[in-house]
Amino acid sequence: MKDILWLIQNTLSVTFRKKKNIILYLCMPLIGIFISLLVYGGDQKAILHVGIVNQDNSEIASDTIKFLKGLENVKVVEIPNAKTKDKIISGDVDSVITFEKGYSESVLSGNPAHIQITSIKGAQITGFVKSYLYQYVDNISTISIAAAGNQQTFKQMYHDFQQTNYKLTTHSLEDTSKNKNMTNQTIGFLIMIMLMSAGNMSEIILLDKENRTYFRLLSTPINARKYLLANVSVNMIIMTIQVLITLTIMKILFNIGISMSFWQAAFVMILFSFISVGLNLVIVAFSNSRSAAGAMQNLIITPTVMISGCFWPVEVMPKTLQKIADFLPQRWTLATLTKLQEGNSFSSLSLNFMILIAFAAAFFLIAVYRFSRNNSTQNFV
Amino acid sequence: MNVLEIKNLTKKFSDFIAVDNMSLTVAEGEIFGFLGANGAGKSTTINMIAGLLRSNEGVINILGKNAAKNSRFAKMNIGMVPQDLAIYEDMTAYENVKFFAGLYGLRGQELNERVEEALEFVGLQDKHKSYPNSFSGGMKRRLNIACAIAHRPKLIIMDEPTVGIDPQSRNYILNSVRKLNEMGCTIIYTSHYMEEVEEICSRIAIIDHGKIIAEGTKEQLKSIITNTKDLWIEVKSTEKVNVESIKAINGVEAVQIDENLIKINSDTGVNNLNKIIEHFINSHLEIRSLQEKAPNLETVFLTLTGRNLRDQ
Repeated sequence: MKDILWLIQNTLSVTFRKKKNIILYLCMPLIGIFISLLVYGGDQKAILHVGIVNQDNSEIASDTIKFLKGLENVKVVEIPNAKTKDKIISGDVDSVITFEKGYSESVLSGNPAHIQITSIKGAQITGFVKSYLYQYVDNISTISIAAAGNQQTFKQMYHDFQQTNYKLTTHSLEDTSKNKNMTNQTIGFLIMIMLMSAGNMSEIILLDKENRTYFRLLSTPINARKYLLANVSVNMIIMTIQVLITLTIMKILFNIGISMSFWQAAFVMILFSFISVGLNLVIVAFSNSRSAAGAMQNLIITPTVMISGCFWPVEVMPKTLQKIADFLPQRWTLATLTKLQEGNSFSSLSLNFMILIAFAAAFFLIAVYRFSRNNSTQNFV
Repeated sequence: MNVLEIKNLTKKFSDFIAVDNMSLTVAEGEIFGFLGANGAGKSTTINMIAGLLRSNEGVINILGKNAAKNSRFAKMNIGMVPQDLAIYEDMTAYENVKFFAGLYGLRGQELNERVEEALEFVGLQDKHKSYPNSFSGGMKRRLNIACAIAHRPKLIIMDEPTVGIDPQSRNYILNSVRKLNEMGCTIIYTSHYMEEVEEICSRIAIIDHGKIIAEGTKEQLKSIITNTKDLWIEVKSTEKVNVESIKAINGVEAVQIDENLIKINSDTGVNNLNKIIEHFINSHLEIRSLQEKAPNLETVFLTLTGRNLRDQ
């Protein structure tokens, strides 16, 4: 055990004395957070810019504009009629509401008309302001109908309506889908970085072999099993640090709600660390040089990461690729995390955990079998 | 006491027999030379002694204990200096030696002292903070040795420790081998440089096709191939040389004249040097130089294996 600890200590010390390794192993996983912040982040309250053309110039039109100005998330600017098109095309405003001459008469008559909403961004943009505006106009129209043509009564009721003071308490519902997407994006990127890190660390075996230090190491009391165990341990230490740093910074620094417990997420990702090490050991066991291992890593890691939904939701891919993804450990890792986000209990996911453990065990067994079949000191074990 | 005993050792790679029923002993305090052409089975044997390969048959005992059953004990008592430099370029000289010494269980003050001792022994104490990429080939070879001796092994295996280095570094290393031997280390030494083996080894084994074909001191090995010696006498003029009268001297078996050189082949069992010189004086032949040409190790190797060691 002392021998293994000595190897681990030495490998970690040599690895982290190089600045590029610190960047690669400890800073790179954070890039996922920044990417997801860029994609999903920013001010969650979108401001709608609405241009108003007031051709009616009546009291009712002015009050309607005042009402619109009071709406949250809506910024109103009055513009001349001639500039409507320019303002919309240039993107200065999202939509323009035109109160045409005769607007107030139509409202008073109980049949609101002469309102035009112009936008090139469609119902997604106009829908919000339209729903508020129509409700307001309907209210006034209803008052007018209730006044039954009596001007004095209408004015009294309209004045009361405008003066009504009531308290409205609003609660904004948290948009968890955005946080879930950010978590998935970050974890997806972390999965790729973990696979790459494990690849680099496993390649130390090939480097030692190429430099003949492996041969020298085995002439000391270290044997092949201890050497491999030390390599796996270093790999696991680095990846555990990556997981903890990424989750901590996500949760504490950027306040991204991961919609599951920190330790549950950490457990799943550490489980994936074993898969990552196992897969890379298989690659190393079947490679004769670092360049061969690098090529195999590119051929295996990049496509599987893409297919399994680490960069985009797996649902957007064709059915055939989705079926292939079901055979990939990255997919099962993400699926397990998604189930935890959906509120499934930890214990109900035992099948997922078993599948992840089975992936790791299979990779380790293949690697160990391949290593043990090698009978030459030119190779190893 | 025997530091190394090999009994009936065999190693096969599929159908190829790399080491064939080899038996060998190396006594404490010996510098044992291991000679063999590439592919002769020398490296396979060394790898099995160092615990890097398992034998198919046979036993290797290190300090009286079965190396296969007492792997840790065997490895703790062996220092391996591989032919290929096995040092880490991203670690300083001190860190390299410390790392390897630490694998033998050394820790703390004892570890630091041993590391300094090993670096001093190979003359790199003033370079302890330097990285190997700034070293010459000879310095790297010396660092390679320091990594193998810091844990004070009883048996040091040196596989071609002087390959590709300058004569000064070679002398340094050869002197270090002698010093290690004086300090009580038993050494197994392999080299393609026959003169090195001849110079420092007390006993030599010649291996070919996985078998030891000759073993003994260099004198014993030389005596295997011939019972005669050559005497080369250079004279001012060979006009007065009477070949038949030289042949008549007791023990002389052949005489050959090559320009001013008279090559006399004589039985090693007959001491006839005085009579030969007397014959030259009486014949008024002016002797310019005289050389006794005994067969060297290279000749022995060539004769026994049919191959030249350096031409492999």
